[in-house]
Formats: sequence, structure tokens, C-alpha cells
Amino acid sequence: MDLGQVLANGIVLGALYACLAVGFSLVWGVLNVINMLHGSFIILGGYLTFFAWHLFGVHPLLMLPVVGALLFCLGYFLQAVFINKVVTAPVLTTLTLTFGLDMILYNFMTVYFSATPRQVTLDLGSIDLFGIYLPNERLLGMALALLLTGLLFVTMRSSSIGRAIVAVRMDRFAAALMGIKVNRIYAITFGIGALMAGTAGALFALVYPVTTNLTGIFLGKAFVVCVIGGLGSVPGALVGGLALGLIESISGVVFGPQHSLTVGFVVMLVLLVFRPTGLVGVKGYE
Amino acid sequence: MMSRLGLALFALWIVVLATTPFYADNSIVRTAIMLAMYSVLAFSWNFIGGFTGYPSFSTAAFFGLGSYAGAIAQTHGVPMGFAWVIATVFVAAFAAGLGMILLRLRGHYFAIGSIGVVEVCRLVVSSWSGVTGGGNGLNVPLLMWAPDTVGAFFLWVMLGLMVIAFALTAFVDNHRLGFGLKCIRQNEDAADMVGVNTTFYKVSAYILSAFLCGTAGAVYASWIGYIDPTDSFQILLTVKVPVMALLGGAGTVLGPAVGTAAFVVMEEFVWANFLNWNRAILGIIIVVLIFFLPGGLLKISYRRMINRLKGRESAGAPV
Amino acid sequence: MLKTSHAKTRSALLTSIALTCGVSVALAASAAGAQETVRIGAPLALTGGLADEGKKQELVYKMWEEKVNAAGGIEIDGQKHPVEIIEYDYQTDGPRAGQLAERLINEDDVHVLMSPFGSGHTKIAATVGQRYRIPTIACVASSESVYTQGNPYLFGTLSPNAHMTEAMVTYLKDKVPGLETVAVYGRDDVFPKSMAEATVKAAEDQGLEIVYNQLYAVGTMDHAAGISSIVAAEPDWIYVSGYTQDLIVIRRQLADLGAKAPIVTMVTGPAYVEFTEALGDLADGISSQTWWHHSVDYEGEGAWKTTDEFYQDFMEASGGQDPDYIHGSCAGALVMLEDVLKRAGSLDGEAIREALASTEITTFYGPIDFGENGMNQARDLPIIQVQGENIEVLYPESIATAEIKLLNE
Repeated sequence: MDLGQVLANGIVLGALYACLAVGFSLVWGVLNVINMLHGSFIILGGYLTFFAWHLFGVHPLLMLPVVGALLFCLGYFLQAVFINKVVTAPVLTTLTLTFGLDMILYNFMTVYFSATPRQVTLDLGSIDLFGIYLPNERLLGMALALLLTGLLFVTMRSSSIGRAIVAVRMDRFAAALMGIKVNRIYAITFGIGALMAGTAGALFALVYPVTTNLTGIFLGKAFVVCVIGGLGSVPGALVGGLALGLIESISGVVFGPQHSLTVGFVVMLVLLVFRPTGLVGVKGYE
Repeated sequence: MMSRLGLALFALWIVVLATTPFYADNSIVRTAIMLAMYSVLAFSWNFIGGFTGYPSFSTAAFFGLGSYAGAIAQTHGVPMGFAWVIATVFVAAFAAGLGMILLRLRGHYFAIGSIGVVEVCRLVVSSWSGVTGGGNGLNVPLLMWAPDTVGAFFLWVMLGLMVIAFALTAFVDNHRLGFGLKCIRQNEDAADMVGVNTTFYKVSAYILSAFLCGTAGAVYASWIGYIDPTDSFQILLTVKVPVMALLGGAGTVLGPAVGTAAFVVMEEFVWANFLNWNRAILGIIIVVLIFFLPGGLLKISYRRMINRLKGRESAGAPV
Repeated sequence: MLKTSHAKTRSALLTSIALTCGVSVALAASAAGAQETVRIGAPLALTGGLADEGKKQELVYKMWEEKVNAAGGIEIDGQKHPVEIIEYDYQTDGPRAGQLAERLINEDDVHVLMSPFGSGHTKIAATVGQRYRIPTIACVASSESVYTQGNPYLFGTLSPNAHMTEAMVTYLKDKVPGLETVAVYGRDDVFPKSMAEATVKAAEDQGLEIVYNQLYAVGTMDHAAGISSIVAAEPDWIYVSGYTQDLIVIRRQLADLGAKAPIVTMVTGPAYVEFTEALGDLADGISSQTWWHHSVDYEGEGAWKTTDEFYQDFMEASGGQDPDYIHGSCAGALVMLEDVLKRAGSLDGEAIREALASTEITTFYGPIDFGENGMNQARDLPIIQVQGENIEVLYPESIATAEIKLLNE
């Protein structure tokens, strides 16, 4: 079994995981909210992409910005109307609230999109790189995932909104004193979280059939990636995603595919207990 | 904490549930069994989530492990009642070990960790097929009594567990342990500083929140006769139980019973009437709960509400 | 008459009162000698994870009910009895399936249960039926583990998985002379797992070398690790089991990661339209086993006397979609029930159970003959392959429409 192939599989998958989790990580880091809606946001993005492609022939790449914009609006709305009201409450309250909202969104999706698995089929073939096969669809997904994650990183670093988000994350009271409208920043952050989830879903629809039955699985992946990588930072999600991709890929060969998911979760639990800040996390969020 | 009226109503409620086999058909009895079972789970969760204020989402892990421990014991020829005891002890030991590790975490990290435990349990149970039957699930020897007898039997067993859970709650509430747990909820660091042995208290609360879930799981397995990993370790269950306790009033003695009753009745009603939208409607109930009933049904000031209603009536009266 | 959702919008209380009245009226009527309706209870997964499968069951149940009632009902002991299928949605939730089975027996007073989709939920519903001594007919549960529990009230119209795998290995060895190695990759779930295990056993028994034998966990989203190992083992035959969604991903990843095996079997992918639609050209050449295919040709009695008759009716009801084995088996089970009730001579649960146990007939679906454990014993199940736009039948020879086509040649 070729080690190069195993690593390549892991990295390609890991980039998608990173993109999938970065929005969740951002929301947790800035708002201190465990967003149970995240999995449904991803699926919603996937479904929108699929139906635009299937019904109107819109190319998935063209849909990417549209999906992002729609999900941003949805996220902004949910945060501004609902979650902001309890954002300072204990985790039990916010988690339960987002779980309730998730049940509503989930129900809408099963009624209007049904649970039938849907996939965008582009059939781009694959590259053979010295005996290592790299599927083009996945490479495309990976490239876009890295690009989006990179864009988010740059936005957080250098735009005024990004700096405001970082300021609120560090100290919401000080930020408020500085004239930052904290609630608005929260809504924008949540919107960005939803945007990242939706675009990740759109990318996933290229490589995997999306169905509402997957919301829990996607959410679980986001948990694991965030804990492994560390919270609240874009590089953390990137490291966590790649780590999880590699862990699953390697353990799939070493222990057999039956156990690769278990290994991912066990690594998460171990890290949670011994290094809650994750591999590259910032101290102070535990 | 608990009024005599509350206690009387609770006793009445137990009687109403316990007598369903005499006046209702078996599908109502089945609902009553589920209600009693959820009450056990909600009472249990209340120790860690309500009294101690730790956002624990591991109920489904305890329940699922209990049902598997009981089922495996029974398939190996252990008599039913004894299998339930084994399941209880096993889950208590599991919670003790897990609690030592997991309770070092707080807040969000604890929440995520406790959910992660449910998922790991599900994955381990489904891949360890030599013992658990894996994805095939596990069949438990069926009690082949008449259906009415079976229903009544399991109802009374579950109600028995519910009464035990309630008694424990009432006891802990009045005991030093309960006081310590409430201190931890208020401010863990301060509690630690004034000499509360926080680790011991937290682990105790965690075990209390687990062991009856284990028994309930084992009883459930004997009753249904078949368990599988997906149904036993459900994330939905692990969130539903705290919601029930919150609905009644987390950290109160009777809250879990009130919340479970309200939730199950609502769920049955919604489910019977809004086939395609029941999940969304339950979601809306959760949202409403968070915004309008943050303290749960027991914390509403009913007297003020009645007074206000009366006031309105009298304001209208003179005309 | 089918109870549709509007019928369920009454409150639970009203329903139970109405049903209690209805039942007593029905009892009074039957005492007076009128024809009692045959009530068949069906917990169905109309929403949730198994909704697609549940709707397939619902469609043929409706077709059968209409067809039988249009002909005046089923004749039992010299009298025509109308039929009624009472269905509830259990939302792909195991405990709900049990609750609904209990409700169907107690409140709707059904005579027979049709089990929901899948082996796990079948077990739950059948356990309730057993308690009340009401027979359960499972038309979509094929894992022997469901039937080995000594439940004498459970009968299944699908044949054991081993019957399919043995025939498949024999057929391939016969048709593909160079066949030596096989890689087996199965989903760790009741049906797919037992298919994978049965194939490994059949292949070993017949002298094939197993070069890869692994299961993947439920919820696996990426199969690159497993597939890379399979590709590295260079098998002649790749055997995959799973649900349609898994199979679609695995097929793509097989292609992406350069698998070159001449035979790729995916159970039961090609049996579903969804599979071929999602994969397009990549579906070409994939083979599978199945319990029933509409190109088979059997004759029997009942609502549909020939496979073609069922096919025509089905095309009309479905708006041009081909039926798959779920449709075939479930419709076949109901057609069989007509015969069973005639022989039972009454609607008593015990009488129906005895008549079921002694069933030995051929329907449009094929032969049905229950073994000791309540499973259909029929052999010679079809092997199918996607060839271009079509699904061809390779085996059994009597109904074959094409020879096997090898991939990557």
C-alpha cells in the first residue's frame, strides 16, 4: 500500500474538513456559542447548489457566491433576531436554542428537498501523479476550500470588520466601549459562519451526495476538527481539518475503515482532556 | 423547596400513570411507560445539569450502555432482574471513571466532550460485533406473558424507577451534597476555595445522573426485545432530556417530572396532528421555551398571572 | 380505504373514540353476518432517513388495495371481504415503529401487519406482533438474523442472502475463467454486512482468494483509504455492499483512484433507478444481485397474474418509473396474502399464521415457500448488470437477456 496515496487522500479530504469546520470554529470562538445549526447550513448549501444545477443548469462554481450570500443573510437574520437575545447565557441555553432552530430548518429541508441523496456530477476524471491518483473534483474542492479559508483569514486580519470581530472576541466590553456595535458584529460573525458552512456544503455536493440525514455527521466533524485544531482561529481549523483527514486516512489503512471514524473521535476526546486549546489554539477560551 | 401541594400532585400523577392498564388500551400504556422512562432520565440529568449547572449531554450514552449491558447479560442467561442490576452497576462505574476525566472540563468543552462520548459509544458498540452484535443489533429474550401483563409490568417497573429518582432528588436537595452542588453552580472557584471538595461533588453528581439511566436502558431493552446502536445512542435523545428538565425547571425537585409530562404530551399531540411538521413544531417549542420560559414551568409566578387575569376581569366588570 | 394525513389531523382522543366506536360497530356487523373488512396494518417510514423506501411500499400497497377492492375483495369462506390498509408514518424512528405496531393492533384492530423497511425496524414491529399473536409479513428484510429468533409469527418474502451470493459466485466462476481473487468491502449495517459476509463465505467455499475483506462504519463519508487498499491488492472482482448513497460515492472513488477490476458488483445499486441516474456512464458494467427484476416472467393467481400485468399497472401508477425489488416483493407479499386468507378460512391470527406457514405458491413475483424460520426458500435469484442504458438480466438462464460484460477491456 502506497504511503504517498494514503497521505494524498488524507490531505485532499482534510482541506474539505477544514472548510467545513472553519465557520463553526469562528462562531464558537467569537460568540461562545456551540452552533448546532452548522450541519444543516452545510446541507442547505449543498441542496441549493444541486437544485440550481439540476433544474436550471447553473454551474456549481457560479452558484458558490450566491449560496454564500444567501446563507450569510440567513445567518445574520437568525443571530440578530434570536441568538443575540441569549448570547451571554450559559452554554446550555444557547446550545438548546440553536438545536431548536436546527429542528425547524431541518424539517423545512426534508419537506421541500426530501431526504433523497443529491449529488452534482461533473465527471472531471483524475490526475495520475507518479502513481498517486488525485481526483480532479476533489482537487477542485480542495483548492476552493483552501481559497475560501484563506480569504476568511485575510478578511479577519486586514479588514475593519475582521478587526472588529477579533476585538469583540478578545473583550466584548472593551470593544463596546470603543464604539463597536457588538450585537451587529455578532450577527455578521454568525452570518460569516453560515456563509462558510454553505459554501463548504456546495463544495461537498461535488464529491458526496448530500442528504438531510447527514446534518449530524457534518456537525460531528466540525466538533472534532475544532477540538483538534483549537478554537476561534482560522489556522486552527485548517490544522484540525488536515489532521482529521490524515487521521482518518491512515487509521483506515492501519485499523481498517470500520474503525477510522472511532479513531477520530477518540483523538478528539483525548485532546479535549489533555490539551483543550487544541494543536494551535489560543489560550483563554476553555 | 417543595410544597406539600406539589408532593400531593406528584403522588396523584404517579397514581394516574400506574392505573392506565385498568382504564386505557395498550398503546396508551406504552406512552405511559415512555413517559415514566423519560422522567427517570430527566430526573437523573437534573443532578448534573440542574443542581451542578454542568451542560451534560451524555444521557444517551448512559442509556445506551445500560441497555446493551442488560441485553448482553440477558442473552448470556442472566435472569432479567439481575441483568438490570448489572447494567446499573456497570453504568455507575463507567460514569465514575468518565467523570474523573471529563469533569476537569468546563462550559463548552464539557458540553462537546459529553456529546463526543455518545458518539464514541455508538461507534464502539457498532464495531465490536463479537459482543454487541454490531449493526445487526441484539435480541433480548422476550417475556412471553399476555401483552396486557407485559405492559403493566414494565410500566410499574419504570414508575418504580421514577419514584426512586424522585426520592433521590428530594434527598440530595435537602442534603449537604445538594448544597455543595448548588455552590458549584454559582461559582465553582469560590466553592473550591471555601472548602467544598468540588471533584468529589461533581463526580457524585455525574454518577447520580448516570446510574438510573443505565437501569432504565436495561429495562427498556427487556421490554422492547431488540436494540441497535443507532436507536440506543441518539443525539436527539441526549438533547431532548435536558430540554424536558429545562421545560419543567432545571435544578428544582419536581421540574423534571413536570417538564417531561408537558413535553411528552405535547410531542404526542403534535405528532398525531402535524405529521410532516412535528419536528419543526418541537423546534418552535424549544425556541419559545428559551425566550419565554427561561426558568421553566415551575418558575412562572402563577399567583401574579392569576392576579393579573383577575385584575383584567375586574377592570372590565364595572361597565 | 387508505388513511391519509387529513384523516390523522383529528386529535388523538377523537381518533381513539371514533375507532373504538368503529370497532364495536364492525364487531356487531360481523356478528350479524356481513363481510368484515380485512384490516392490514402498515407502519411506514414516510419521512426521515428511509422515506424513499417507505414511499415505495406505500405506492404498491395502494395499488393492491384499489385493485382488490375493485374486484369486490377477497373471498374467504364463501364471502367477499373488502380490504383496508391502515398506514402510519413512523418517521424512520425505531421506537415509534413499535409504538405504531401496538396502536395498529389495539386501536385499529388489524389482522395482519406488514413490516416496515429494513431488518432492524422489522424486528421491532414483529416483536410486538408476536406478543399479540398477530402475523407479520416482512417484504423487505432479508437478513437471516431477523428470522433466527424463533418468532413463529414472522414471515419474509425475500430469500436468504446466502442464496444470492452462492449463485453469484458459481455464475461468475463459470463465465469468467480467469477469476481468482476478490475484494469485499461492506457497510457495517444489518443487510450490507450480512451480504458481505455471505459473499466471503461463498467465495472461500468455491476456492477464490479473498485479497481484501473490510467493513466500513455507518456514516463514512470518504472511502479513499479502503479503496486505495483495494486497488493496491489488484483483485479480479470487487464486491461492495451498502446503501445507494454509499455505493455512488464508492463507485466514483473507485474510478478516481484507478481501480481496474474487470468485475465490479455493487449490492443492490443497479436495482435502484437512483443509482444509475446519479452515476450516468460510471454505472455501466456494474453488476448486482437482486431478489426480483421486472424482466422476470412468472405466472400465478391474485390481483396481478403475471409479471407483465404488474409492470403495466405499475408504470401507470408511477408515471413511467420502473419498479424495483421493493415494489415487487411487497406487491408479491400482498398477492400471496390473498391466497393465504382464502386457505385460512377466517381472520383469526392463529389461522392466518398456520396458512402462512404452509404457503407454497408461485406469484408474479416468483415462488414463495416459507422455510422453518419463516423465510422464503426460493433460489435462482436474478443477477443483473447495467449495460449501456439498460439493466440486463444475466442469470438465471431461463430469463437471461444478456451475457456478462467485463469492465476495462
